[in-house]
Amino acid sequence: MIIAEQKPLDEMARMLAPYSRVLIVGCGTCMTVCGAGGEREVSYLHHALRVARARAGGEPRIFLEHTLKRQCDLEFLDLLKDRVAEVDAVLSLGCGVGVQAIAEHFPDLPVLPGVNTSFVGMADEWGVWDERCAACGDCRLADTGGICPITRCTKGMLNGPCAGTKNGKCEASPEMDCGWVLIYRRLETLNQLEKMRRYYPPRNFRTIPRPRRITSRAGGPGETDGPQPA
Amino acid sequence: MRFTPASPAPPVPRAGTGQLADRSLVPPCQAACPLYQDIREYVDLVAQGRILEALRVIRSGNPFPSICAYVCSHPCEDQCRRAQVDNAVAIRALKRFAVEFGGDRLVQTEAETIHSERVAIVGSGPAGMACAYYLRKLGYPVTIFEAHPEVGGMLRGGVPQYRLPRAVLDAEVERLTRMGVEIRTNTRVVSLDLLFQLGYRAIFVTVGAQQSRRLGVPGEDLPGVVDAITFLREVNLGLKPSLGDRVVVIGGGNVAMDAARTALRLGSREVHVVCLEKREEMPGSAEDVEAAVEEGVALNCGWGPGAISGDSHVTGVQCIRCVSVFDADGRFSPTYDESTTTHLSCDTLITAIGQVPQVPEDFRLRTGRGSTIQVDPVTLATNRPGVFAGGDAVSGPATAVRALAQGRLAAHRIDDYLQHRYPKPRDPGPRLEGDLEPRTVEVIRRTGRMEPPVLAPEARRKGFEPVEAVYDWEAAVSEARRCLRCGMGAEILFQDKCAACLTCLRVCPYHVPRLDEAGNVRIPPEQCQACGVCVGECPARAIALRKPHDRRQVDEELEHALNAAAEAKVRPLILGFCCQYGLFGTHSLAGVWRRARAGVWIVPVLCAAKVEAEHLLKAFELGGEAVFVAGCGEQCARENTDLWLRQRVERVRKTLAQVGVEPGRLQAFVLAGGAENLAVELDRFVERVGGLYLAEVMRREAGR
Ligand SMILES: Cc1cc2nc3c(=O)[nH]c(=O)nc-3n(C[C@H](O)[C@H](O)[C@H](O)COP(=O)(O)OP(=O)(O)OC[C@H]3O[C@@H](n4cnc5c(N)ncnc54)[C@H](O)[C@@H]3O)c2cc1C
Ligand code: SF4
Repeated sequence: MIIAEQKPLDEMARMLAPYSRVLIVGCGTCMTVCGAGGEREVSYLHHALRVARARAGGEPRIFLEHTLKRQCDLEFLDLLKDRVAEVDAVLSLGCGVGVQAIAEHFPDLPVLPGVNTSFVGMADEWGVWDERCAACGDCRLADTGGICPITRCTKGMLNGPCAGTKNGKCEASPEMDCGWVLIYRRLETLNQLEKMRRYYPPRNFRTIPRPRRITSRAGGPGETDGPQPA
Repeated sequence: MRFTPASPAPPVPRAGTGQLADRSLVPPCQAACPLYQDIREYVDLVAQGRILEALRVIRSGNPFPSICAYVCSHPCEDQCRRAQVDNAVAIRALKRFAVEFGGDRLVQTEAETIHSERVAIVGSGPAGMACAYYLRKLGYPVTIFEAHPEVGGMLRGGVPQYRLPRAVLDAEVERLTRMGVEIRTNTRVVSLDLLFQLGYRAIFVTVGAQQSRRLGVPGEDLPGVVDAITFLREVNLGLKPSLGDRVVVIGGGNVAMDAARTALRLGSREVHVVCLEKREEMPGSAEDVEAAVEEGVALNCGWGPGAISGDSHVTGVQCIRCVSVFDADGRFSPTYDESTTTHLSCDTLITAIGQVPQVPEDFRLRTGRGSTIQVDPVTLATNRPGVFAGGDAVSGPATAVRALAQGRLAAHRIDDYLQHRYPKPRDPGPRLEGDLEPRTVEVIRRTGRMEPPVLAPEARRKGFEPVEAVYDWEAAVSEARRCLRCGMGAEILFQDKCAACLTCLRVCPYHVPRLDEAGNVRIPPEQCQACGVCVGECPARAIALRKPHDRRQVDEELEHALNAAAEAKVRPLILGFCCQYGLFGTHSLAGVWRRARAGVWIVPVLCAAKVEAEHLLKAFELGGEAVFVAGCGEQCARENTDLWLRQRVERVRKTLAQVGVEPGRLQAFVLAGGAENLAVELDRFVERVGGLYLAEVMRREAGR
């Protein structure tokens, strides 16, 4: 799941300075799960911005709140139509995808990001999130015991461990597990230690064409033999 | 500066806005109460120190709470789920506290006559009294006919005064008369036709079960043999029958215990109870049997009475070993070992093996097993039109609370009958069912049941002083806090919003929320302790407590406090969210209250864990110059509430810092190491805030 973190309030306040009517939009999927932008956060932020405004003095600003099931699909964004008509800007607590989707859907409307979209990851415990996947587009987890060397190794090395590993920890931080030691232990448990001996040629991420697109239906877009959306 | 939404968008009912219906499940105590009293509610009000309101809740479902407070057989306590943790909540004793501290004696009940149809009630026991009470409330002219010179049925003639002081009963009778109920004592009704001829349009027959059963053994008619009902009646009317030194009571029920204990109080040296059952099978309630033993009554369990000996007066009774009392199907069918016998000598023998109703032949009412009147269970109608029956006369010997419930039911059915309405069945809503799981039980704090103080056994034997005293405030509140608030817990009210983020699973101190097979989050209501932690943390705000007053209150009370503050114009404006239980219940947060008089505005909340981070911000937003939350900490009846309180305060402090408000203007106070410390800390806080405020004013002045 996508993990994000709310931006500092002062940064948001600066972004919002030119606008007097703002719609705060939450997202009911990843941002709710990671606690950065669900309905509760929308309301919390709303109150916080009002406190900030009261503190700074000046014209009270009008905020509206709404949380969508998901921001990254245009059909959901249609539900905002009436609400955005009343505001000068949208503050989105969706991930970067949500912000862009809103921008795309409402061309004349300024949209501001309320969160810093950070990584793809999972909860360690309540309120603590860890990165797990770099979305590299070329998954090697079968060879590394289901542990991703790109995200779990500080250096993202494909052939580890390096000489900086000490007592299972990384030289970058003594609190951090060495990703490659984790991989080694796991392969040992799986009786697949021979995989440690293999050499993985370096990958050239620069060759990945951006923006990436995946087509899951038969026949690419524009071709006629696949099912066409109405 | 109030928030007014720019668009008149329809208010979405969402968690925390107070637009939620009560979705709580009927707790087992309430389901077990014949009167269907909202026990959970009044117990909680006692815990909050809101005694007057507790009494109001009690009175709304019980015509004579003071009577129940003394003698109710409390079927509620038998079902209390707290027994799965330690012991049942002492519900009856809490009711006694509420009626005495709440001033039930002073409550005036009014009634107005709005109907012309007169109703006659035959018998002035609790069933008749309750029926009269509710019929008066419904506006009917009511007359009670009572065969005896005194009013109250078995409560007057049966229940001994050491368990029910007569002043309590007198007050209720007095109240009935003041409501306009006509009571004709010394009037035995022999014919219902006569009542109809006198113009009564409906009759409620509640003649009780007052006829003692006979033993059916030789010697039963000897002088010195008396049945318990006659005996107790004599004593209750002020006679002092001389019993001699040795008394034997036959029977193992509550009436037998009352007879035995009364005999002791009349001065008999040795009182023996003889019953068929083994000690643990005795039909008398454990409380009553234990009290009797404490006072010195000797139990002879597993014996049945044989011949009674004596020539001109009883001298003793032969007892035969009883092998078993019930047959394989659980029916009463005692078997004896005739070869094992013993003899108990005595000067008086009291029989207490049950009573049956005595319904005059001329009533022409159909009777069934044990001479009880047959009625339709829904309408209490008998075979004769316009004649209804209830109480012990219908059920056989039962309990006061059952009689009250039947009296109330009869009043409503008689009303339906007289107004030609079809009776509407009551829909009590879904019940809470199921036991606590061991893993839930493990987390619940153990706080043993506290019994009200009782007179020492030696002192009790000296007379008819009430045995049990009432709780003091502290004891009552601690006892009330033991309630688990069954059926009030959290639910995922807005399933469509639930993102299955599992926050509730992770924050619940009781490990209640879980995933079902399909991967949906479930909060089993029979495990939830209604602490509200998940409600305040759910990022989708999909969870709400089933009883929404818990939450609505925070917003409403905040508004109250702000209004009061605006009127007082005292600056700086300090708002304190304060646990209601600690404030008015245990008084452990009383230090806060003292500060309150010096310009702190209190927002009472039902546990500090119900104050959400948004509430804290809102307090600042609406003009609070400083805000604090005070919780009961280690004294809280729930787990981890202080942890969540601190967590939320910490978060809001960070936010405040970002918007230029000194984080020190928000503080959590959690009771630890006595209320004194708290008061000192709070004083410091108020002083500091005062300083900040002054500095700010000076800065502003200087800037001008
Ligand atoms: C010794 C004893 C102790 C008890 N202790 C408890 C206790 O602690 N807790 C509890 O819950 N229950 C207790 N009970 C049971 C409780 O008292 C009865 O269940 C309850 O009183 C039944 O109420 P009732 O109105 O149906 O009948 P009763 O209380 O029996 O009242 C019937 C009334 O009808 C009158 N009557 C009868 N025939 C006529 C007639 N023809 N005309 C006019 N009037 C007539 C009688 O004189 C009597 O006053 C006790 C009972 C006894 C005997
Ligand atoms: S956190 Fe509290 S309210 Fe929520 S499920 Fe657990 S016990 Fe119930």
